[in-house]
Amino acid sequence: MKNFKFFITKIFLRKAILSIAMLLLFFMANYTIFTAARSILSTFQGYQEIKYMDQEGTYIANLDPDSNIDIDAIVENGTQIVYDYLNNNLKYAFYTDGFIVSLPNNDDMEISLNYMNEEYYKLNQFELSQGTDLDFDYQLDNNKEIPILIGKGLSKTYPVGSTIKIEDPVLEQSINLKVHGVLKKNAYHSNFYALNSKNYYNFSVFLPVNEDFIKHANIDLQLNGLMDVIILQTTKEKVEDLSEIMKENLGLKFNFFSQKENYEYFNEYYLHSLKIISIITLILLVIITGLSIWSALVSIRLMLKDFTINLLVGLSYSKLRKIFYSYYGILFFLNLIVVFFITAYSRYGCWLRKDATFVTYGVFGLIGMDWFALLVVFIFDIIIGMIIVENMLRKIKKVPISLGVLQ
Amino acid sequence: MKKIIDLHIKEKVYKKKKTQLSILNNFRLEVNAGEKIAIVGESGVGKSSLLNIIGLLDKDYSGEYTLFGSLTDNLQASELAQWRNQKLGFVLQESALINSLTIEDNIKLPLHYAGSRKKEFKLEDFENVINAIEIKPILKKKPLDCSGGEKARAVFARGIIMKPQIILSDEPTASLDVDNRERIVNLLFKMNKEFNTTIITVTHDLEVAKLHDRVIHLERSK
Repeated sequence: MKNFKFFITKIFLRKAILSIAMLLLFFMANYTIFTAARSILSTFQGYQEIKYMDQEGTYIANLDPDSNIDIDAIVENGTQIVYDYLNNNLKYAFYTDGFIVSLPNNDDMEISLNYMNEEYYKLNQFELSQGTDLDFDYQLDNNKEIPILIGKGLSKTYPVGSTIKIEDPVLEQSINLKVHGVLKKNAYHSNFYALNSKNYYNFSVFLPVNEDFIKHANIDLQLNGLMDVIILQTTKEKVEDLSEIMKENLGLKFNFFSQKENYEYFNEYYLHSLKIISIITLILLVIITGLSIWSALVSIRLMLKDFTINLLVGLSYSKLRKIFYSYYGILFFLNLIVVFFITAYSRYGCWLRKDATFVTYGVFGLIGMDWFALLVVFIFDIIIGMIIVENMLRKIKKVPISLGVLQ
Repeated sequence: MKKIIDLHIKEKVYKKKKTQLSILNNFRLEVNAGEKIAIVGESGVGKSSLLNIIGLLDKDYSGEYTLFGSLTDNLQASELAQWRNQKLGFVLQESALINSLTIEDNIKLPLHYAGSRKKEFKLEDFENVINAIEIKPILKKKPLDCSGGEKARAVFARGIIMKPQIILSDEPTASLDVDNRERIVNLLFKMNKEFNTTIITVTHDLEVAKLHDRVIHLERSK
């Protein structure tokens, strides 16, 4: 330890510019690895999550990119006509979210109301931390309470069994809600088309909708619900018929893709981008590692006399190796701390901005994928550290400790 | 007299870039404790290479080397480092100091690697050394702020701080004026006289060489 302290304070830090350069290079390497690892894990999680849609006869609606929403082009009761068609001819999973309401809560977050029908609920199998499943067989009546699920962040303010009165933005009337269950911490949903992007439900309220609810809801809910509507146990011909109905009544062209087709789209665009990110990360990593080795070797050249004198008076290669590993271990550890704080600050920033759809719970605000990415960084740090230290030692051993070096 | 060095070099190949030079062919050296030996010879004959081998800095040669009764081939790198620290002292030219350290830190450098022997070292030992060498006023200075003579004495102090049994001295007076040259030589011989320290000096200076018990002339290998 004393040898190490001596080397750090009297030898390495005397060439502070080299230490700073190494710190910056390692930071670049660490942050690049961290970002890539987290993106890849998040995409993998998205893949796992969306798997339930990859079934024969399941089609997901997608508004044609050339369609522009024009409310005037929608015939009177057009959206309801589409829903009537859906109710009579097809099995469908309905989900729409992002209807913001002010609901008092401990964290002063704006709350997102999310609406889903029974088929969607069955498909997703939301995991609950408390309470019971939703009941979709209720009557929409002013006096009746609608059963709801809430995010973990609301569970203190609204425990299971409590009632909430809200001005519902889609029914445009007051309704009473009763908390039936609480979702697990950090429950999320991935975007169908960008699997590495997620919305978190810690501050969301899930309302069950049935045919009656949709019928009484305004056009915002009805139209939004159609944007990602999932048709189940059907055929391509039947969804094409539905597409025609939608075109006639809404003036909008909808395409229906199976999840397999969505994967193809994902593979063509996002996976390709992810591959490019991975390759660039790898190239950057190789360059940064190369620069780090070069910088380390420059420091060896600049400090060769100092090392030789130390070896001359009793320093052994094994002690020197320990000192190098400790030194680079500290540099990597400092960088890990910095990456950790940046991540923690970014997570905490969502709390500060009251960004309800991205707020997460975790130790220091970090969630599983952050810790995983930090672990990947740690493993890469060990590998890079070993490459650098062994190269440094090889370089030092190549120059024989000799009196000639000192003259 | 106790024999402490028994060295037989069959061949040492000196490599420099693409050229290879064979030196110290079939060289034999036996040294007794307390002897003063000077090694002389023209440049390139292998004087410093020989000192590197004796000083356990170079194992890349064919031959056998027994030091203090132990075959050095059998010693691990860490043991060699320990022997360099505790049994051998290197007195080099005045440039062999770490410029970022003070003179005091430079002198005390071997203590960092002394392990358990550091406990045996007393402050008065250090005081005795610096008083004998008269470098107390420059202890807090950095080498770049010292004169050539002062630096040479600091290098000397570092070489003897662990009370070595052998002092290996490589051109210690090469760039010094007459006064300082005499001072360093006197210090070396004082160590020999007071502690029976064996002195092996590589030098170009025949006047200095003559002061030793034995002078070994190295010649270019044929």
